[in-house]
Amino acid sequence: MDMQVPAGGADVKPEIALWHLGKNCRAVIIGFDGAMPLEYSSRLSEMGFHIGESVTCLLRPGFGCPRVYRVSNTVYSLDEDLAAHIRVAADA
Amino acid sequence: MLIGSPNCGKTLLFNRLTGLRHKVANFPGITVELASGPMSGLSGTTLVDYPGSYSLQPLSRDESVAVDEFKRGLRDPEVSHVICVVDVTRMEKSLYLTLQVIRLARRSGKRVIVAANMIDVLDAHGIELDFEGLSRELDAPVIPISARTGIGIERLLAQLREAPPADGSAVDSVGDIEISADLLVQQAAHGLARRYGPRSDVLVRSQHRLDAFFLHTWFGGLAFFAIMYLLFQSIFTGAAPAMGAVESGIAALADWVVPHLPAGVAADFTSDALFSGVGAFLVFVPQIFVLTLVVGLLEDSGYMARAALICHRPLRVFGLTGKSFIPMLSGVACAIPGVYAARAIDSPRKRRLTYMAIPLMPCSARLPVYALLIAAFIPATTAMSGLVGLQGLAMFLVYFLGLMLGLIVAGLAARRDRDPAPDVPFVLEMPPYRMPALVPLLRQSLHRCRHFVAKAGGVILGVTVVVWVLGYFPNGGADLQSSWLAAIGRTIEPIFTPLGLDWRYGVAILTSFLAREVFVGTLGTIFGIEFAEENMVPLVERIHASGLEAASGFALLAFFSMALMCVSTLVILARESGSWKLPLKMFFAYGAAGYLGAIAIYQLLSLDIF
Repeated sequence: MDMQVPAGGADVKPEIALWHLGKNCRAVIIGFDGAMPLEYSSRLSEMGFHIGESVTCLLRPGFGCPRVYRVSNTVYSLDEDLAAHIRVAADA
Repeated sequence: MLIGSPNCGKTLLFNRLTGLRHKVANFPGITVELASGPMSGLSGTTLVDYPGSYSLQPLSRDESVAVDEFKRGLRDPEVSHVICVVDVTRMEKSLYLTLQVIRLARRSGKRVIVAANMIDVLDAHGIELDFEGLSRELDAPVIPISARTGIGIERLLAQLREAPPADGSAVDSVGDIEISADLLVQQAAHGLARRYGPRSDVLVRSQHRLDAFFLHTWFGGLAFFAIMYLLFQSIFTGAAPAMGAVESGIAALADWVVPHLPAGVAADFTSDALFSGVGAFLVFVPQIFVLTLVVGLLEDSGYMARAALICHRPLRVFGLTGKSFIPMLSGVACAIPGVYAARAIDSPRKRRLTYMAIPLMPCSARLPVYALLIAAFIPATTAMSGLVGLQGLAMFLVYFLGLMLGLIVAGLAARRDRDPAPDVPFVLEMPPYRMPALVPLLRQSLHRCRHFVAKAGGVILGVTVVVWVLGYFPNGGADLQSSWLAAIGRTIEPIFTPLGLDWRYGVAILTSFLAREVFVGTLGTIFGIEFAEENMVPLVERIHASGLEAASGFALLAFFSMALMCVSTLVILARESGSWKLPLKMFFAYGAAGYLGAIAIYQLLSLDIF
């Protein structure tokens, strides 16, 4: 899949979709995949989901409900349609 | 001009600076329109509040309108200052917009003041921030304030009085960056938030503890149903004493006033039209107060965003989104703010479907009708020390029915929707939980009741007078059955016969097309004339005396649940959807569905098996 990654952003850590990040796990955003329209990735960046930012999965409610993520001091809920297209790498 | 990111407390600050009482709530997207008002601390100055935005890079039509208006405002020579509100507890999401605003305002020669809001929250946690350093970096005054408590408001006003408008030649401290979703601006905002924002995660930790319960896979769903049940139960149990007091008060006033009037037309009009007609409607105002208060408590607490998350998956089945829940629940108080609140839904398709569901929500105008019919046909039995009441349970079921109808209609419409545009995914900021501010909420509920009485009261009084004149003459109230009203009523009676209703109920339904709550006032007037020899008697007892069958009562409930009988809602729907096509379709379709549904219910309940 096409990736919008930062210049020189080659990272050896395994990357996953944010949607698959485990509860209470932290990761670093490394990009948005090509399936995400540019306006959504721009808005997410404005909200704090920008490349290089740490993101923590706070809650994974059942039944496919949107999951709860923390970036900086702000908490957002994102559904799979969005979180599946945000690529993250596990934060050491 | 007042601008800021969503849910940063901008409108609360607007209310504090102007003394106005615009709606505030603890979730993003409440302010959807420009509002303006004279500043109480600065005579001759008008403050304009803009809808919240994450950036000056609009994504939707509504955002474009707001951003264009803001840019137009910056070109206005009368505008001197821009107050940019920043939520200091979540600085990063606010600073990106702030940097864009500072740059654009400077180019236009406007002075920017940054209002660092929610300082009271930081104080409560003992967190101190370097606002002077931030001010130096932004090259703009940063005033720590709390719109909620009033901290720093005088300093903000002093800054507005002292600081002259910028001359437009100020040096741009954020570099030569165009207004765009530019990585450099984001990085600058990110860097500033890192340096000057709160480092501790104490603010998020307390929120997380509550979220772990309210968003728990099982407990979260149970809590949601319990909260919704208590909301509707409280409409009966919480309002009952006040309703009793209003009813007794009106009866006592009538008993005192009417004997002092000369016998004849004046006394009959006062007794039948004013006390029986308008009075019957006023009895239900406490329920509207309780409903508005409880919805306000939920909005202010921050729970609404959690409810939106919980509802997202089930609502998707019907083509809606979790964000549809907030306008739908707002629609329970009144459809009009619900329709406005739907602007926060990014997806045009889901917004349109939400428009279709909102008028089916049981709004406060339906409440007097529901309450009257439930009180007439459901016994007032209670259990568990009054916590569970049969009438409250019936009200919950009626509201649940309204919700289900809205969902089914949206689901059917979604299946027919052939819009090829991709849908907008769900992302929602989860606001921090807050203890609701009771005094503003009480004030807001009183304001809502006053507005309701003023808006509906005029219509009800007008209709009541017409109905009374037609019902009283030509025989001076001696016999309702031979009045002009009866003659008119009998011509339309065949329409309502399949519902088991006689002409009196037919006339009440007909007048309720002006506003649903007129139904109660009209019935009160008609029965006031018919039972003129009796003292003031609750309308419920007169409905019993009229011989209305339970099957007809439930048919009426079904009709009022579905029919779209609110002119104001139709007008706002036309405005928000951009044409009259959708509201007119809804008016006829919901009316026909209500009528046919009511016939089906009446016929079904009239079968011998029941």
